[in-house]
Amino acid sequence: MKRISAAVLLTVFTVLLLTGCYDGREVDDLAYVAAIGLDKGVTNKLKLTLVFAVPSATGGSSENGGGSGEKTSSILTLETPSIMAGLSLANNVVSRQVSIAHAKVIVFSSELAREGISNYINAFNRLRELKPTINMAVARGSAEEYLKSIKPSMESSVTKYFELIYRTYKYTGFTANTSYFKFYKYAKSTFIQPVATLAGITKNESSADFATESSIVRRNSGFPLEGEFKAGEIPRAGDIKADIMGLAVFSGDRMVGELDGEDTAYYLMLRGEFFQSTITHVDPINKDNVVLLLIKQSRNPVHRVELSGGKPVISSKISLEGDIQTIQSEINYESPELLAILEKSVEDFIRKGMEELLQKTAEEYNTDIIGYGAVAKRKFATWQQWLDFDWHKRYPMAEFHVEVDLKIRRPGLLIRTMPIISSKKGSV
Amino acid sequence: MSVLSKVGKRILRTLIFHEPTLEKTYILEESEKQDVFGEGPKTDSKNKTDPGDNTNQGSKAGTADKTGQGKANNTDPGKKPGSVNETGEGNGRGSEKNREENDNSKQNEEGSPGKVRKILKPIPVGVDDLSKDGNDSGKNKGGQNGEDSKNKKETQNEDSQNEEDSQSEEESEISTDIKENLEYMKNAYSIPLSGDVVIREFDITIGEKNIEAFVIFIDGLIDSTVLNHFVLEPLMLLSNLDIKYVQKDIKTIILKQLLPYNQVKTVSFYKEVLENVNFGSCALFVDGLNVVFTADVKGWEHRGVERPNTELVIRGPQEGFNEVLRANTALIRKIVLNENLIVENLKVGRRSRTPCALLYIRDIANKTLVDEVRRRIKSLDIDSITDSGELEQFLEDNTFLPAPQILATERPDRVASMLEEGKVAIVMQGSPFVLVMPTTISTLVQSPEDTYMRFPGGNLFRIVRFLGIFVALLLPGLYVAITNYHQEMIPTDLVLAISAARERVPFPSVLEILIMEISFELIREAGIRIPGPIGPTLGIIGALILGQAAVAANIVSPILIIVVAVTGIGSFAIPNFSLALSLRIVRFAYIALGAVAGFLGITTGIFIQGIIYAKAKSFGVPFLTPFGPKTAGAAQDDFLNLPIWKREERPDYLNTGKRRKQDSISRKWIVREKGSDES
Repeated sequence: MKRISAAVLLTVFTVLLLTGCYDGREVDDLAYVAAIGLDKGVTNKLKLTLVFAVPSATGGSSENGGGSGEKTSSILTLETPSIMAGLSLANNVVSRQVSIAHAKVIVFSSELAREGISNYINAFNRLRELKPTINMAVARGSAEEYLKSIKPSMESSVTKYFELIYRTYKYTGFTANTSYFKFYKYAKSTFIQPVATLAGITKNESSADFATESSIVRRNSGFPLEGEFKAGEIPRAGDIKADIMGLAVFSGDRMVGELDGEDTAYYLMLRGEFFQSTITHVDPINKDNVVLLLIKQSRNPVHRVELSGGKPVISSKISLEGDIQTIQSEINYESPELLAILEKSVEDFIRKGMEELLQKTAEEYNTDIIGYGAVAKRKFATWQQWLDFDWHKRYPMAEFHVEVDLKIRRPGLLIRTMPIISSKKGSV
Repeated sequence: MSVLSKVGKRILRTLIFHEPTLEKTYILEESEKQDVFGEGPKTDSKNKTDPGDNTNQGSKAGTADKTGQGKANNTDPGKKPGSVNETGEGNGRGSEKNREENDNSKQNEEGSPGKVRKILKPIPVGVDDLSKDGNDSGKNKGGQNGEDSKNKKETQNEDSQNEEDSQSEEESEISTDIKENLEYMKNAYSIPLSGDVVIREFDITIGEKNIEAFVIFIDGLIDSTVLNHFVLEPLMLLSNLDIKYVQKDIKTIILKQLLPYNQVKTVSFYKEVLENVNFGSCALFVDGLNVVFTADVKGWEHRGVERPNTELVIRGPQEGFNEVLRANTALIRKIVLNENLIVENLKVGRRSRTPCALLYIRDIANKTLVDEVRRRIKSLDIDSITDSGELEQFLEDNTFLPAPQILATERPDRVASMLEEGKVAIVMQGSPFVLVMPTTISTLVQSPEDTYMRFPGGNLFRIVRFLGIFVALLLPGLYVAITNYHQEMIPTDLVLAISAARERVPFPSVLEILIMEISFELIREAGIRIPGPIGPTLGIIGALILGQAAVAANIVSPILIIVVAVTGIGSFAIPNFSLALSLRIVRFAYIALGAVAGFLGITTGIFIQGIIYAKAKSFGVPFLTPFGPKTAGAAQDDFLNLPIWKREERPDYLNTGKRRKQDSISRKWIVREKGSDES
């Protein structure tokens, strides 16, 4: 017993002497970075923007009156040769030690992203502090401007804003989960390429600035559908200037193109990461009206890749299910005959959209963001054969066949649509 | 002096290492008594007061040995007693020889053959043997003292004289002369110096004869009415009546015809008489008889059977033990209701002779376990003992382990259910806490209510309690570790909240938490010591006002108050007070480890604590059973409860006489008429 207690005492003292709390830091000795912005520098290689969360305003006790009037974030922009050097420099400006352990998003300017971002990604990769779940975003324009324009209206904390806004893809389908570890993994992969969330700032000061020429109609529906926007393009005005929508498509570490919200939804469906979203569909019978469906993915997508003489022939089967949310035309689509017409129409619409997206990635962007390579590589016996095949070079030649299977399961709270009866003789 | 230091070392070793072989140390100690005259018992205050004198005596005794005893030994020059004393190992051996010589000499001198030999008996066989051993050694001492009395101071002389008297009085048989007996008892109780001992003299008339007699009892310990009606009245009045059938001798007449009281013992030694009178009996001395009748008329003031103070339950019996031995054993027997429940009487303490009872169920409890408990109790060589808390410390395996290894409980139902499992209990006179052993970690986290409550509820209690243990042990340590080293582990908003709350606190978080934990301990300690009615007020002042003020004064952050408060509540959820106390101690170690090395430190701490606990044992059962060594049927009752009809076996680690406690289908009603058709 004496020996044991001596051993325990010795251990305790050794622990005390050897560790000595040298890397212990109190919570309130740290400055927490909420977001990191990277632009091309003017005087130096890089312009680094750091958004700090201000604790006293966000987490203050009730005695401080909730801190609604105080600034919840503080922004620092500096030019630096590299990110780490920038963080060191920031320590000379901010009183507390800069910690990026709680950073929520890294924003690259599109200019920087088109030049390639591998330099910066490598720096992040070695950092112990950085969470691998941090979001990757590309700002259309300047990253600094995007971060400056963020004034959270709902939350008192800027970190909460970033946490929530980058999670909206779960119920909109207009952005995707673009966390850092996925981005890094895909950028180095031989069979899939990464994407990043597209962020932007609206130019409209008020609704008077809305102009028809800036309105985009990509698909022939006569009016823009809700998915046909990219970040910063949504016709809107208000106190929130920043928004996110769509994806930046990368080929390796270089950005090569942009996807709008609807393309992003198809991307998610093809990846099998689609949670749910409302889509607007032009009524197949009454073309002036629309039908709204809440779409969910009912099964994982099934991909097949055939290689005919080195040219990939890709076929995908997407299984969806939908709930009717609105039928403007008051046509009784709940009846089995009409339901088939509606399902067919929506299936065709989605299939066409997907095929266009895939053609665009192959011919225009030359990058396999869906990850068909993962299916294709099963055809090869050895890794070397697969490397020699060089998927990224072959993908642009690919031919696509998409099959969409949509089942409308639930009509909402109405089981049958009846027209509104008016004294004036109207439509059926 | 070298002998003294050796003795000191030995005491230290027995204290620290808890030599499990008690017999061995026993022999050595006794042999030393022989070797160095008058120096034997190390705890003797008399010796400590005058060490120089004793060494003198020792040397003198040595020479006395030489001269007085067998010459054969003296012819060998290497074995002079003096030189033998200086070598460590040789000491024991040499002393044995000396002792034998002593025997011979004493046979001649005192005419008490073989008494010293008894000391050497390695295992004390029974109460009587033990007591005799004690007497013998005392007697020797007395004799030796007598020999050396010239060298001693007056007070010491008196002491030794008293001791001599007491030794002989305990040994000696009762005289037939009542005058002598009366004188003896007066002397023993220092009457009239001692005020509460009453001697009532009277005459018994049997036939034609008038026989002198007296009763002796201690006022306050006995029930006066009972004594009057059932002892004195028949002897003094009814003995005058014409007895139809007259027995031959007076002893039988008194015992069988004149004493109508239900508990009468016949005793023939003074020692026993004194013991009985001290424990509330009255002793009847009759002229011409060499025996004494003692009637158990005790009726002292005591607390009734009340609700237990510590282990409260919502459902289940609400009786708790009190301070009376027999009431407590009766409370247990009232629940067990089986003739196989054995209540063995034992006495602890050389002077106090405190009655204890060893309880077990004969056909269930493992015999070796019972023997071990009995051996440990009987081996105790102490003057007196007050509470079972002291007894627990004398019996437990490891003094320095934070966790208790013997369960102390106030609930008879708990003791009864554990006896049914095959454990052993010790009830002690004067203590409302009964000790149950062996005790493992799973017993300590159980509450009797777990089994009284229905299956889902009982398990909810368990889970909450485990959570309480986790929180009480680790929460402050984890808080310090996270806020100092692992800020990325908690949600951002929480980090910002903690950061904002700590902004104006001038201390590092370790100091902050230590301030609060220590003041919380202070509140608890004060809450226990404070006089009754003010207690709750103190809790309110301490917990609410002080905490609020500390936050307002920016001495601590509000989140820390939550941490400390939850830790406190967690420790209150632990059913065993002793275990909760141990967690409160270890908690500070975890705060230190968390502050020094973060999660790494806490992990290391858990690892070390695990090793220490895995090594510990309670009466031969590893402390972490049924998790440490995994035993069969561990899932029954140890982590979570199974439904009551599935708890079929007694704990594997107890190796009980009867393994199963219910049939594999205990609820026979579920078996339908046709047999296999279960619902």
